[in-house]
Amino acid sequence: MPLYGALELDRVVARLPRMANLDTEAWTLPGTEILQLAWEVGRDSARLLPRAMHPAIPPYATVTVARFPDTPVGSFTLALLRLAGRAGAHPRGLVLGGVATSESAAHALRERWGLPVAHGEVTFRRYHDRAVATASLGGKTVLDAALVAPETISAGDVQYIASVTLAEVTEDGQARVRLVQVDSHYTFHKAERGRPHVDRFLADAWNAGGLALVHPISASLTTADTDLPQIRFVMDPEIPVVRGTRRIR
Amino acid sequence: MKFGLFYELSVPRPWTRESERTVYRNALEQVKLADELGFDYVWAVEHHFLEEYSHCPAPELFLTACAMTTKRIRVGHGIVVCVPEFNHPIKIAERTAVLDILSGGRLEVGTGRSATWTELGGFRADPDLTKQTWDEFVRCLPKMWTSDTFAYEGRFWSMPSRTILPKVYQRPHPPLWVAVTTPGTELDAAERGLGSLGLTFGMFAEQEKRIAEYRRRIQHCAPVGEFVNDTVATVNFLYCHEDEKVGFETGRRMADTFNYLATQLISAREVYPTKSYQSLGLLPQLRRQATGPDTSSQAGEGLCFGGPERIIRAIKGWESVGVDCINFLVNTAEVIPQADVLASFRLFAREVMPAFGKTKPADEGGA
Repeated sequence: MPLYGALELDRVVARLPRMANLDTEAWTLPGTEILQLAWEVGRDSARLLPRAMHPAIPPYATVTVARFPDTPVGSFTLALLRLAGRAGAHPRGLVLGGVATSESAAHALRERWGLPVAHGEVTFRRYHDRAVATASLGGKTVLDAALVAPETISAGDVQYIASVTLAEVTEDGQARVRLVQVDSHYTFHKAERGRPHVDRFLADAWNAGGLALVHPISASLTTADTDLPQIRFVMDPEIPVVRGTRRIR
Repeated sequence: MKFGLFYELSVPRPWTRESERTVYRNALEQVKLADELGFDYVWAVEHHFLEEYSHCPAPELFLTACAMTTKRIRVGHGIVVCVPEFNHPIKIAERTAVLDILSGGRLEVGTGRSATWTELGGFRADPDLTKQTWDEFVRCLPKMWTSDTFAYEGRFWSMPSRTILPKVYQRPHPPLWVAVTTPGTELDAAERGLGSLGLTFGMFAEQEKRIAEYRRRIQHCAPVGEFVNDTVATVNFLYCHEDEKVGFETGRRMADTFNYLATQLISAREVYPTKSYQSLGLLPQLRRQATGPDTSSQAGEGLCFGGPERIIRAIKGWESVGVDCINFLVNTAEVIPQADVLASFRLFAREVMPAFGKTKPADEGGA
């Protein structure tokens, strides 16, 4: 059978988001601009993946920067680092770390969806020859990356995989670490594709110490209606998801 | 109806020095028996880097070994990747000609373009261009086999006039096919006079519609070769057992394992948005059609596992929608013991094949 993740959960428990409950109400997020950059990463990235999941072959990670113009907490921009893997037979991106431009957004993302997001600065600028994103925490730049050489493609050509995130949830009155599935839907209106380029990436700031963005795969820039959905599934991070998945609704 | 074997040569972890050798040896033993029992084809994939799922990057070598130990069964590239970063077209023409000679004219040549980032990225091939390179390769290949000398100036490759040697043994040349995973590729096959080498399971109604359109279009094709290969093959699992329940459960375990391994790989579309890969390719098709919403397969329309009667019904179903040939995956990741695989073949030949007018061949003839 395939390889499994090798995350030592004890090492990360203290910094995981704590979810208030699993009854999260969905947010509808119209008119979202999304920049997604993908790179292959090293085999040793399996140490960041819970034992419930399998590494993708080859392993890859994405940086996603999304500008939400209209949310219940106002407009904000969010940058996420995800490590791709497989939950059973399903492609999933494990959210390792994130930066949001609004304190209230960061709080909501942690508490309602279990996303490990900190408050910081995120910029997202569009030029004719590139789209550039930066993120900083405490005044320190932790990401400076871009999509270069954009070309228009059909919006129907794009797909983004669903996310999972490690968070502390309360089950049967007890605090437990769970993998929480956040499977946003996308209706794409515009899409461009280019090459990913990275000038600065501080892995530690994304809870991904040692992760290097090695071989560029692709980059996309889209406009889409999307959402942050109700939580449907949670999984035990220590056992294969085919045995450890619980349906919430 | 013709029957074939379809080999991915999957090798489960943990890997030892003997793991791959065991899988290859088991497959060769299966092919030898299949030849004796009257199976028509053995196909082998070309895949690279697909851990556990397929350790078969050099199908021409495996197929040569098959040809050397058999008499009748036809040996098929299922498929050769027609992307220049993977294979130079001259080398394809040369290698296939050698295999056709060594097999005594038993070669079938499936063509295709790869569907995973795992492979395309590994060779640094451009996913946008693979349909175009495939078209160029397929147009050239029959001419390289049959012309005294060949010269070419194309977009993706070129060569001055040379004599490409050796020439294929079959006249005018081996049958050509294209791998069909994405709906619509069967129409590419029809318009070029190529056989449709189906690699997805599909459902009867969907397949019937697609096959009917293939048959209609191939009547008016511009064949790339010197003859039209008006043949539709599909792929299936095979596990035949006297006990219906044992056969079904064992077959389902094989299908689930195949599905599970397949989905660990990265389809081109997952990471590289392009119109060249509109569907998710073979792997998710298998997940959607051969198995249920999670990782467990359902009964599956037309899947060939269970007792002989059930398998006959399934094959009759495929026959009724116009399928000419079914190629079977007979083991995945060695989940079925070799003795049981061979017993499944024997039972299939004894109880199922006669229902389709096939009997065990006499011990003579062949190459």
